[in-house]
Amino acid sequence: MSDQTAAPDQENLGAMLARRGFGRRSLLKFAIVMTSSLALPPSLAPVMADNLAKAKRQSVIWLSFQECTGCLETLLRSSAPTIDSLIFDFISLDYQESLMASAGAAAEHTLRQAVAANKGEYLLAIDGSVPVKDGGVYSLTGGRSNVSMLEEFAGSAKAILAIGTCAAYGGIPKAHPNPTGAVGVEDIISGKPIVNIPGCPPVPEVLSGVLVYFVSFGKLPDLDDRKRPLAYFGTTIHDQCYRRPFYDQGKFAKSFDDEGARQGWCLFELGCKGPTTHNACASLKWNNGTSFPIESGHGCIGCSEPDFWDQGSFYTSLAGSSATGWRNAGIAAAVGLAGGAAAALSARSKTPTIPEDKS
Amino acid sequence: MTLLAFARGPAMQAATLIMIAGMFWRLAGILLLRRKTAHAAARTPFLLRLAGGAKTIVTRTVPRKNFWPRVASGVSLGWVLHIGLFVILFAGAPHILVIHQITGLSWPNLPKGVIVIASALTLAALVALLARRLTHPVLRLLSNTDDYLSWLLVFLPISTGILLSGETVAGYGTLLALHIFSVEALMIWLPFGKLMHVALVFAGRGMMGFNFARKGAAT
Amino acid sequence: MRDFNFLADDTLVDALLAEIAGLMENLAARNISGSIDLLGLPLSAACLALLEQRLGTGEITATLTAAGSSEIRETSFSGVWWSSHADETGRIVAMLIDVALVPEILKANTDDVRLSHRRLLDATGSFPHRRSA
Repeated sequence: MSDQTAAPDQENLGAMLARRGFGRRSLLKFAIVMTSSLALPPSLAPVMADNLAKAKRQSVIWLSFQECTGCLETLLRSSAPTIDSLIFDFISLDYQESLMASAGAAAEHTLRQAVAANKGEYLLAIDGSVPVKDGGVYSLTGGRSNVSMLEEFAGSAKAILAIGTCAAYGGIPKAHPNPTGAVGVEDIISGKPIVNIPGCPPVPEVLSGVLVYFVSFGKLPDLDDRKRPLAYFGTTIHDQCYRRPFYDQGKFAKSFDDEGARQGWCLFELGCKGPTTHNACASLKWNNGTSFPIESGHGCIGCSEPDFWDQGSFYTSLAGSSATGWRNAGIAAAVGLAGGAAAALSARSKTPTIPEDKS
Repeated sequence: MTLLAFARGPAMQAATLIMIAGMFWRLAGILLLRRKTAHAAARTPFLLRLAGGAKTIVTRTVPRKNFWPRVASGVSLGWVLHIGLFVILFAGAPHILVIHQITGLSWPNLPKGVIVIASALTLAALVALLARRLTHPVLRLLSNTDDYLSWLLVFLPISTGILLSGETVAGYGTLLALHIFSVEALMIWLPFGKLMHVALVFAGRGMMGFNFARKGAAT
Repeated sequence: MRDFNFLADDTLVDALLAEIAGLMENLAARNISGSIDLLGLPLSAACLALLEQRLGTGEITATLTAAGSSEIRETSFSGVWWSSHADETGRIVAMLIDVALVPEILKANTDDVRLSHRRLLDATGSFPHRRSA
C-alpha cells in the first residue's frame, strides 16, 4: 500500500516512485527484467513488484579500500539510463567517499551517523582488497587502516557485499609478490553473510540483481561454494559463449588478426580462460549489452576468478602451462647425467672386466 | 592457489625437471656401463653398422613369423595401444598446442571425433592387456608393481582426457586439473620403471642391430 | 539471448508450443496465468522468428511507455500474448510469452487508481457535493 502521508525516509518505495511519476507498471516492468536476470520464474515478477512497492529504501554503506575505483565507475556511471538504474532509487547510499560532498571529519561524522541510524540493517558494500601486512598500514582512510574499519563496520551490518575481484579474493593487489599482504573480505570476516560479486570490474547488472533480490525477498540469493550468486556465476563463459560452435568444430584462431580470428573463430589457442571462468558477461555483456572481450576479439582473462593475475600469461592456452625454462631443464639434465654417470662408474669399478666365455 | 593453478604451475615444473633428470640418469647409467670388448675386427663400415641398428629398431616391431601364433594377441593389442597413443598425442589439437608452446612447431590436427575414437580404442586395448596379464598364468607370475603401476599411469591420462574432451562428470577446471595431475604422475614415474622403454626400446634394439651388423650378421 | 542453437529450430518451437498449450489449459480450466521467459532460453534469432510466425497476430496490440517502450501483442491464440520490453535506449531487456486473460502489466493498479483519483479531484476542483447541486 502506498502511504503519501509518511515522511520521506519512512515512506515505502511504491509511494516514493509514485511521487516521482513512476507508476506500478514501471515497477512491474523492472521486476520482469530482474526476474529474468536472476533466472527466477517469470511468475515471481508480480510478487517482486509487490514486495518492492511495500519495502523501505535499503541502507547501503559503501567502503572503498585498496581499489582503483573501477568497480564504482562501472556500477554508478552508466553511459545511458537503463531500466536497472531504478535500483538506485531502491537503495539509500548513505556513505560513499568518492561520491559524497563531505570530506575529512565531516565524512567520518556522516559514516558514524549512517551506521548508528541503520544498525543491524545496512548492507556493507566493500570494493578494493584489504591489506593486512604491517598492521594494514598500506591503505588508510583518515589515518585508520582498512582492516580495522572492516572489522568494526562488518559487525553491525546485515550482510556484506564484496564488490569486484579485489574485495572478493584479493584481486590485482594480491598478485605475486603481494607486497601489501592484500586479501579478500572473506579472509578477514566470518560469521556474517557475505556475497562475492567478483569481476574486474563486475558486471553492473549482477549488483542490481543481488540488491533487488535482497530488497524484494529480505534475504540473499542462492550462492555457490565461492559465495557468488548462482544466477550469475553458475555457468562458465565457455558454456555461454557465442563462439562455442567453433570450439566444438575445432576451428581456432592461431594468432590475432589471422583468417580464423577474422572469421570469429574460437580463441582457446590464444589463451582464452573461458572454460575455467564463471561470470555472466558472455550473456549480459558490458556497456548495456554492447560487447564483451571475446566478442571484441580477445580471449577471456578470467577476471572473476581468484588469483587470475597469477595464472601465467593471458596468451598461454589452458592446454599449456608455465613450464620450466630451458636453463632449468639444462640443469636437470646435468644433474641426471652426473647421477647416472656416478652410478655407472660405481658399477664399472665393481666389475673390472667382463669375463670371457670359457667355451 | 587453485588446484588448476598448482597443476599448471609448480607441479608441472617439478614433474618436468624430475622426468628430464631421471631420463638422463638412466640413459647415462646404462650407456656408461662396461661393455664387452669386441676383439674381432668389424665386418662392416661404421655407416652400415648404424643402418643395421636403425633397421633393427623398425623390424623388431613385427614378430618373426614362427612366433606369431603365440604372441599375436599381445602384440596386436600393443599396436592398437601405441598407435592410439600416437594419434592422441600428435594429432590431437590441445597436445599439438602444448608442443607448439614449447617448441614453436605445429601442424594440422585431426578432428576431435577421431581422437575420441582413438582414445576409446586405446583404453579398450589397455583393459584387454590388463585382463590378459591377470589371466595368463606365466604373465601373472612375472608381473610386479612396476607393471601394474605403469599400466595405471597410462590409463589415467587417457581416461581423464576423454572425460575432459566430453566436458562431462565434473567442471572443466576440475577435469583439466585431474588430467594434468595424471600426466605429471606419469612423467615422474616414467624414467624409473618399464615405461622408460620410450627411450630404451630405441637404444636396446639399436645397439643390438649395430652389434649384429658389426659381426656381419643379419639384422 | 545466445546466438546459436543446438537443436533444430522447429523442434524447439514445437516444444515451446506444447508448453504454451499446457499453460492455456491451466488458464481455461483453473484461471491460472503463466509466462515463459524467452530471453532465458537458448533460442536463436531464427527460432524466435519462427515462433512468432507460428503464433501469429491477434486483435490487440498495446504500446506501453514506462521506463522505456514495451509492446504487448495478443497472438492469434486467445489468451496468448507476446510481450516485448525495451529500456530507454531501445534495447530489448525482456521478452515473454504471457498466457493470461489480460497480462498483469496492462491492468491498472489499485494504488495507482487511488492516486490518480486524488490527482483528478485536485485538478478539476470537483467535490462530490458540487455534482449534486
